[in-house]
Amino acid sequence: MAVLLSSNLFLILLVSALDWLPTPASAFLIDWDRTTSSATLGPHFTDCISRDQETFRCWWSPGSLQNLSSPGALRVFYLKKDSPTSEWKECPEYIHENRECFFDANHTSVWIPYCVQLRGHNVTYFNEDDCFTVENIVRPDPPVSLNWTLLNISPSGLNYDVLVSWKPPPSADVGVGWMRIEYEIQYRERNATNWEALEKQPHTQQTIYGLQIGKEYEVHIRSRMQAFVKFGEFSDSIFIEVTEISSKDSTVPFTLVLIFGVVGVLIVIMLIVISQQQRIMMILLPPVPAPKIKGIDSELLKKGKLEELNFILNGGGVDGLPAYATDFYQEEPWVEFIEVDEEDAEGGDKEDNYNSDTQRLIGLPHRNVEGFRAISHPDDDSGRASCYDTDLPEHLASLLPGQPEDNKTCLDAPATEMGEKPLIQTQIGGPQTWINTDLYAQVSNVMPSGGVVLSPGQQPKIQENTSGSERETQKGGKQNEDVEGIKEQKRNEPQFQLFVLVPEGSGYTAENNTQQTSTPPSTSVPGVGYQTIQPQPMETKPAATGDTNESPYILPEPSQSQLFTPVADYTVVQELDTHRSLLLNPPPSQSPSLCQPQHPLKVPMPVGYVTPDLLGNLAP
Amino acid sequence: MSAHIRPVSPLLVVLIYLALCSRLSSMRAASSCTNGQTGCHFLSLANLFDRVIQHSARMHGISNDLHSEFELYFLPSKNQIGRVSRNCHTSTILTPNGKENAQRIAREELTEVILKLLVAWREPLWHFHQNMAQHHEFNNFSSNKSLEMSDMVHELRRGVQKVVEKMQMLGVISSSLGNLASPEALLASDRAEWRLMNDYDLLYCFRRDSNKIQNYLKILKCRIVPEHGC
Repeated sequence: MAVLLSSNLFLILLVSALDWLPTPASAFLIDWDRTTSSATLGPHFTDCISRDQETFRCWWSPGSLQNLSSPGALRVFYLKKDSPTSEWKECPEYIHENRECFFDANHTSVWIPYCVQLRGHNVTYFNEDDCFTVENIVRPDPPVSLNWTLLNISPSGLNYDVLVSWKPPPSADVGVGWMRIEYEIQYRERNATNWEALEKQPHTQQTIYGLQIGKEYEVHIRSRMQAFVKFGEFSDSIFIEVTEISSKDSTVPFTLVLIFGVVGVLIVIMLIVISQQQRIMMILLPPVPAPKIKGIDSELLKKGKLEELNFILNGGGVDGLPAYATDFYQEEPWVEFIEVDEEDAEGGDKEDNYNSDTQRLIGLPHRNVEGFRAISHPDDDSGRASCYDTDLPEHLASLLPGQPEDNKTCLDAPATEMGEKPLIQTQIGGPQTWINTDLYAQVSNVMPSGGVVLSPGQQPKIQENTSGSERETQKGGKQNEDVEGIKEQKRNEPQFQLFVLVPEGSGYTAENNTQQTSTPPSTSVPGVGYQTIQPQPMETKPAATGDTNESPYILPEPSQSQLFTPVADYTVVQELDTHRSLLLNPPPSQSPSLCQPQHPLKVPMPVGYVTPDLLGNLAP
Repeated sequence: MSAHIRPVSPLLVVLIYLALCSRLSSMRAASSCTNGQTGCHFLSLANLFDRVIQHSARMHGISNDLHSEFELYFLPSKNQIGRVSRNCHTSTILTPNGKENAQRIAREELTEVILKLLVAWREPLWHFHQNMAQHHEFNNFSSNKSLEMSDMVHELRRGVQKVVEKMQMLGVISSSLGNLASPEALLASDRAEWRLMNDYDLLYCFRRDSNKIQNYLKILKCRIVPEHGC
């Protein structure tokens, strides 16, 4: 493959080199003939040229022999091989001044070989190389009427293009089609030595590209026959020069400077904007201030913490409350319902007096019964009455079976009163023999072991206030248990129940009284639930009182012979029996009198609180 | 799919119709104009002539290249013209050897000469190419040129025949060129002469004849349709 390529290239080079190599038909132009010493050379022909392919001329030289230089000493003979019987003929026209033989059109035949020879007196000087055909010795005359026109100038103003045009040589009969000429333009700078040659083409005009302004150029043309190798003479040179045109110079650089300046300014502005992005954004789009409420962490305002926020807003986080107070009361939400309201102590508004949280929670229609009243003082620790959201009572109401009323939006704090009408009345009279259980109970004291001593509620209701948010998680199980407990108690006699809070985590445990089934409902939910402690001897007491409903609590005034004894909000735990139940009344071994509980061991204590010194008496 | 084709199909039809119309009009302009427009005819004849002339020029160039190459390879730089009285097999064909002769001759004769020359060279060039292909001294470069040359002669003959038909249709020349249809009759006289020539002489003769053909065609064109570029 490489050998083929190299041979191809070699052949190409050879063919291209044929342009300057003399053809065998033009023996007169073989350079080596001339380079050899012409001194020893005899008479010979120097050249034969045809200009128009209709006539041709031949020139000879006598050579080194001087004696033949005189005109007439040598004669030219030619042979025209147009027939096998052709003969040598003498030159038809001599021009001795030039040692030239001219063959006119009558004696010129194209495509027919000619041979010329010189003859002396008796000597014939003939060279075989001096044979030719006319078409091979044609050298056309150069074109005439050469001129140029400026085509355009480059935008930079440094270069320009020129169109050069000319006319074919008059001697060449191009119009008849007898000669087909192609032209070659060459140009150079004025003081240069090498000519630039453009491509040969047969048209009578050509464009020169890329000339430089301010320089002078020299241009000339020569012509030759198509598909032949011999060129004619060069034409006379013309000179091209274009001076600078300064009309556009001022505007072009100015516009360029303007454009670059604008682009640079834009780039600088963009860099500033990018680097100062933050500050710019702050100026253009100031941030919206977040909502701030005193006492509430803005974290709670975020999504997902609505319950906590509600809790805080409704109770724990009332504006103006110190933080510790909110935390304190968060754990004991039922305290919120405690309200010291002297006006309602007498029950100014019956409804208010009668309405109790418990009742509302339970849904008792009768409002005569006073709810849970807590003896409380208008101390600051007690929570103000606040309205829970509708979620809370509804939530509880839904859990309570047979909630007749559920449109309680607020739970008023029960008025503090002692000896109000118990709920027993409603229990007896009402068709709904709901067993009222206190949802709330007052903690009388806190035991050193951690347990909480509760004061007796007004109704033997197992239900305990579960409005605390933290108990809501346990509410499910607790409520179920409570429901069960309630149902059980409903079937049974109202029992005395006591709530014991065991803060170890067991939650509330409810123990039913002995009348109930032994299985505490707390087992349904492990560790959760209420445990009611039912002192056993209590059952005798109610029997003695003749109440069908047992009052879970010992009434401080035994003289009350009403059917509904005012339920004390608190009671005093007298002792603990072996079953680890709190005995609020000493076992009336003598007689189930409705008298004041006489504890042999205990001194009558004021109902209410158990002072710490009395705690020792409570030891089982 | 069909919903897309529906609005497109009339558009396609219109486009195709336009393309066909343009093509037909161009073809009409190129080859067969209406009878009433003589200028259209001559324009197409001039175009035909131009193509043929360009073809002949290229053929002559190739023949010149081959001849020079042959000389470099096989012959010293000596003029072989006078050595052998070269008698080309086409020498029997009478051809005008000068400008006046070529102008004086009738168009029909000139056309006939051209065709005779073209016919005479078809077979010798084909054999020449066969010989060239067998000779391994020449590489593919020359072999391709010889093949191209033989093909060109064939194509040029067909082109000139078309020009003649066109001229006869236009009435430029008479229809007396009946013998052109039978090229075998032209070759009957010099059937075996070209076999006696060697390759170099063959190339030399063809180079001369291709120049003749080129010249005659140009002269013919400038005689018949001179206004279209002479």
